[in-house]
Amino acid sequence: MYQVGFGDCFLLSFHYRSALADGRKERHILIDFGSTHGPRKPVKELLEKAAALIERHCGANGGPGKLDVLVATHRHRDHLSGFGDVDTAAVIDRLNPELVVRPWTEDPKLPADATAVSPRASSSRRYAASLGEAQNFAEQVVKAVATEERFARGLADDVVELAREQLPNREAIERLNGWAKKGAGEYLHAGMTTAIEQLVPGVKVRVLGPPTVEQAPGVVRQRANHPEYWLTQRAMLAGDAVPLAALRELTAVARDTGMSAEAAGRASAPAGLVRWLVERMERQHLASLYRIVHTLDDALNNTSVILLIEAGDKRLLFPGDAQIENWWYALNDAPDCDEVRKLLAEVDLYKVGHHGSRNATPRNALFNLWGADPDPERPMVALMSTRAGVHGRSEATAVPRATLVAALKRRTTLYSTDDPKLKQPYVEVSAPLLGGHPFERVEPEEE
Amino acid sequence: MAYFDRFVDSRRPELEKRGHEMTIIAQDPTVTKEGRILTAQVRVPADLLALGPRSHRFHVVDYDSTSGQLLPPVDLNDPEREGGWSYRDRFLEADDATLTSSAAFHAQNVYAIAARTLAHFEFALGRRLPWGFAGHTLYLVPHAFAEANAYYSREDQGLLFGYLPDETGETVYTCLSHDIVAHETTHAILDGLRPRFMKPGLPDQAAFHEALADIVALLSVFSIRELVESQLAEEEGRVPEGTLSEAEFKSSALYQLAEQFGRATRPDRGSALRRSLELDPGEGWKSDLEFEEPHRRGEVLVAAVMRAHVAMWGGRVRDLIEAKALTRRRAAEEGAKSADHLLRMAIRSIDYAPALEFEFEDFLDAVLTSDEITAPDDEHGYRDSLRHAFAAFGIEQPQGRTVDLAEMPLGYRNVNFTALRADPDEVFRFIWQNADLLQVDRGLFLSVDAVRPSVRVGPDGLIVNEVVADYAQSVNSTAGELAGTMEIPPDLAPETEIQLWGGGTLIFDQFGMARLHQRKPLEDWDRQSRRLAYLVRRGYYDTRGRLGFSYGSGQGLRFADLHVRNRRAGEDW
Repeated sequence: MYQVGFGDCFLLSFHYRSALADGRKERHILIDFGSTHGPRKPVKELLEKAAALIERHCGANGGPGKLDVLVATHRHRDHLSGFGDVDTAAVIDRLNPELVVRPWTEDPKLPADATAVSPRASSSRRYAASLGEAQNFAEQVVKAVATEERFARGLADDVVELAREQLPNREAIERLNGWAKKGAGEYLHAGMTTAIEQLVPGVKVRVLGPPTVEQAPGVVRQRANHPEYWLTQRAMLAGDAVPLAALRELTAVARDTGMSAEAAGRASAPAGLVRWLVERMERQHLASLYRIVHTLDDALNNTSVILLIEAGDKRLLFPGDAQIENWWYALNDAPDCDEVRKLLAEVDLYKVGHHGSRNATPRNALFNLWGADPDPERPMVALMSTRAGVHGRSEATAVPRATLVAALKRRTTLYSTDDPKLKQPYVEVSAPLLGGHPFERVEPEEE
Repeated sequence: MAYFDRFVDSRRPELEKRGHEMTIIAQDPTVTKEGRILTAQVRVPADLLALGPRSHRFHVVDYDSTSGQLLPPVDLNDPEREGGWSYRDRFLEADDATLTSSAAFHAQNVYAIAARTLAHFEFALGRRLPWGFAGHTLYLVPHAFAEANAYYSREDQGLLFGYLPDETGETVYTCLSHDIVAHETTHAILDGLRPRFMKPGLPDQAAFHEALADIVALLSVFSIRELVESQLAEEEGRVPEGTLSEAEFKSSALYQLAEQFGRATRPDRGSALRRSLELDPGEGWKSDLEFEEPHRRGEVLVAAVMRAHVAMWGGRVRDLIEAKALTRRRAAEEGAKSADHLLRMAIRSIDYAPALEFEFEDFLDAVLTSDEITAPDDEHGYRDSLRHAFAAFGIEQPQGRTVDLAEMPLGYRNVNFTALRADPDEVFRFIWQNADLLQVDRGLFLSVDAVRPSVRVGPDGLIVNEVVADYAQSVNSTAGELAGTMEIPPDLAPETEIQLWGGGTLIFDQFGMARLHQRKPLEDWDRQSRRLAYLVRRGYYDTRGRLGFSYGSGQGLRFADLHVRNRRAGEDW
């Protein structure tokens, strides 16, 4: 786990006793590489330093490095900005990833927006187009809210911040597409098999998420999952659409009331009761925008690839930023859900979902399997890449969430990149894969 | 302003009209009859209506914050007549296109349902009710933003209803859903009656806000006979055909309604009724984390009340079923009557419910106690229906929480009966003098929050005249200080500041004598321990890291987060 502040960057290295077919005795999987905010103690050129370490850790005996698998769990900036930056991407380029793993929603063959999808297309194709349109909407929110003076700062800054994180990250996506073309690309959904198993011998990988829309049709019942919804929201924010059917009736209303036939703009309420309310509604408008952008944030988090990796007698769980809607299918509806729950009950290493936020480690679903208290028979290690104070103004929405951190500390040995005592640029844990040994912290080499 | 000038010389109200019949959409535009949106005429108290419409309690402002458009206020009065008392229903014969697209109708719909809901409360409690903010008028904003959401904002003194357009031309207006408008209005009314329910309490307290709002909304919808009749079955005629037992009638009637309403109502939450009916009776919810989420927990109470409703309804038509003479119309009428009656019982109970530290069993206690006073005989067995329905979910009437003061030698020395009916200081004097008998600790901060007269008609036709006084006690302490007294969760730092609450409700009878004392003593350490464990478990710290002071949510946004889907309940930290 590399120190990237608020972001994720994990390298899984498997070491073998004897050389494999290509003569190397190791295999490397990089899971995500991105950051939106630096650590508490600022680090200059944070991602460049992390990239250099990745290169070093992927190289054997000082030789040129090789990345066998690159996983980009989902398209949020804090998970892939390192792939978009010219300098850090050059490092990944040199590591020449063999396989690029992404969720099904990232398949370049899917429509990128509403113009590319017909109303009769499959639910999954329409959903992909909807995500694209939603990101266009986010772009417009950034533009509108950041520039219009009528929006008071404070809540407006929160809206802009959240919307920025939903932007399309086109440079990173294009590079990932390029690497996938050069090597191989996989676009996973729940239940698929993956070529990781061939590239990393002896490892079994279960893809627990994300489900497709066909697998979890409940997802599309929400209007926000249709491209038209986002098109309309965008048009309204731009003032291009007259939203209210009521306006069509305006003439009739004007006739009844003797008022002007024109609807009044926000500035024109006369002093008094109406203006008092109209002015206060600006804040509610921002709060509404925030909630709408949040549905996109949730939707993108829920496209996260969830991988359960079995190696020897160890189980490692990497859920990206998946929230309960993504988890739900694997835990409750998938044909093998009973077996999956059994496997999840005995996880040795858990990458804490979504930087420790309140809604990415299903409280009932996972902790009921794990139990609240430490289990000496099956000790767990949890790795949390996060930075406090970036998200959530209130205690209830803070990331990481205090109640979750307390529960993790109790049940697992928790390592966090936000630990003020952490001086090193990464946290390394290691375990022999056979013999029932727990994961243990490896003291970092002297820098 | 010019438009008020019209009312300066307003005429005397017409004496024969205490109310107006206003057309509303019976449930929402998806509920139709013979291919047309089902509407109903409901009775709304007559009021001087200014432009807006605006009455002395409500003010419709049609401002859309998303587009920044402010629509002109609507005049619901007869344009042919002078003055503000001349309401004329222009939508009695309106076609569906008008109902869905006319701003004037949207305004009327939201006004009528909100005013009718307030009237239900005032009628049941026998007095005018204050809002939870300084001011007499609640804003109603029918098209507040482009979002499928609706909520009450105390800080903005209003109910905000969103809408969600799409390109197909189909727009969902939350202001056109009867149950959404009634639900949000109930939040505002309950906030006026029980402002401390917004404080962090036991899990039941936040859930009660949702539950009561759902109960009022459902019973309000069910009390519209036309709607129940049309939804019981497509065709007219006898129901049930052939032989149908009372039990079968009960299940089929309600489930049929649930089926109809399941697809309608809230786009974000689905039907409260259906979810409540899907809830299996039992006590499992008490230990299930999923049921700590307020909406989900509220469903338990909704389920108990709706089961009681159907039992009461079944009881009313039992004879007709036995005589094979039950018609749909009659079934609907009886259903509407029992809904109306139960709604009144539920509302009345609020006066007898504690003003803070509320738990579900307090609601049962309050409903039963208040009903015993107004209808001692219970000839239809309504109270038994409620007792059974609640017992099925493990909610029993608590013993000894409401103390009968009739036989107690309370002192009234120097207490002025007239002042006692209205003055918090006088009620405080009474408590001060009788603190030992009332088991109130004089050493703790105590404030009498409200003294309210309550008037109702008793079963003998005579007026029951009471005074209801609420008091609260509180103390600020730390986890370390409280460690020996109550259970402190293991990981809580000793310096964590904690605010504890307690209090009670005193009911004075028509002679000014204290008759009942509903107690939630601050020193109930078992309750305090449960509350603290819950607050810690849910992480309800305020922005200063303290517990029990406030929820720490943004101003005006406490009720904004409606996007709670069943799957998520209990899975968040």
